[in-house]
Amino acid sequence: MANMDWQLLGLSFITVFLAEIGDKSQLAAIALGGSSKFPRAVFLGATAALILTSLIGVIAGGGVAQILPEKLLKSLAAVGFACMALRLVWLPSIEKKE
Amino acid sequence: MDTLEKKLTEQDKDKDIELSRPDVASLREEIQHNLVKQPKLGFWTVFSSTFITIFLAEMGDKTQLVTLLMSAESQSPWIVFAGAAIALIFTSLLGVLIGYWLSKKLSPKTLDLSVAILLLIITGWLIGDVIS
Repeated sequence: MANMDWQLLGLSFITVFLAEIGDKSQLAAIALGGSSKFPRAVFLGATAALILTSLIGVIAGGGVAQILPEKLLKSLAAVGFACMALRLVWLPSIEKKE
Repeated sequence: MDTLEKKLTEQDKDKDIELSRPDVASLREEIQHNLVKQPKLGFWTVFSSTFITIFLAEMGDKTQLVTLLMSAESQSPWIVFAGAAIALIFTSLLGVLIGYWLSKKLSPKTLDLSVAILLLIITGWLIGDVIS
């Protein structure tokens, strides 16, 4: 790595950092990290998912948009987040009744 | 005095009987079993549910498109990937730390409600992404 391009590394770091600050996944990390007994699991899960999506982006290049049904995936994610929200509101009230 | 003492010993006996009842014992066993078993199960459930939802939400999202474009334009896609990966580690660490800090400040009830609202905001955001 004699020709390590520090400028490119810094540029991609800053671009992605600014794009992700206050974005959905960071809000999800705040919400899940705060409510879970295992914030470490939330951190690892979020990081693994985000790194994998960038890896897929780098490997697949321009082809990724054609392969993946992006809207379907996002709808599934929306259902997942809604379920987690409902679970938080429902579960304590069920436990109280029992 | 004598009758009082008698009464007290009788009460103690009642307590002993109550404690030794099989349902109490089995309940205690169940609780202990859960305490031992749950942490492991909980950790991986939390990990995988976080992983799956965030992975699905981020597929085709702007960060992925940015890394995609930057790596396609540059001669060294792996440096772009490294920069992106480090940035993503930082932003999720920051998010989890903020959440952890908030969980210490808020009461459990307020925390549950605000987390539920936050998750519904993300849901709405994703629906907005799908529609537009």
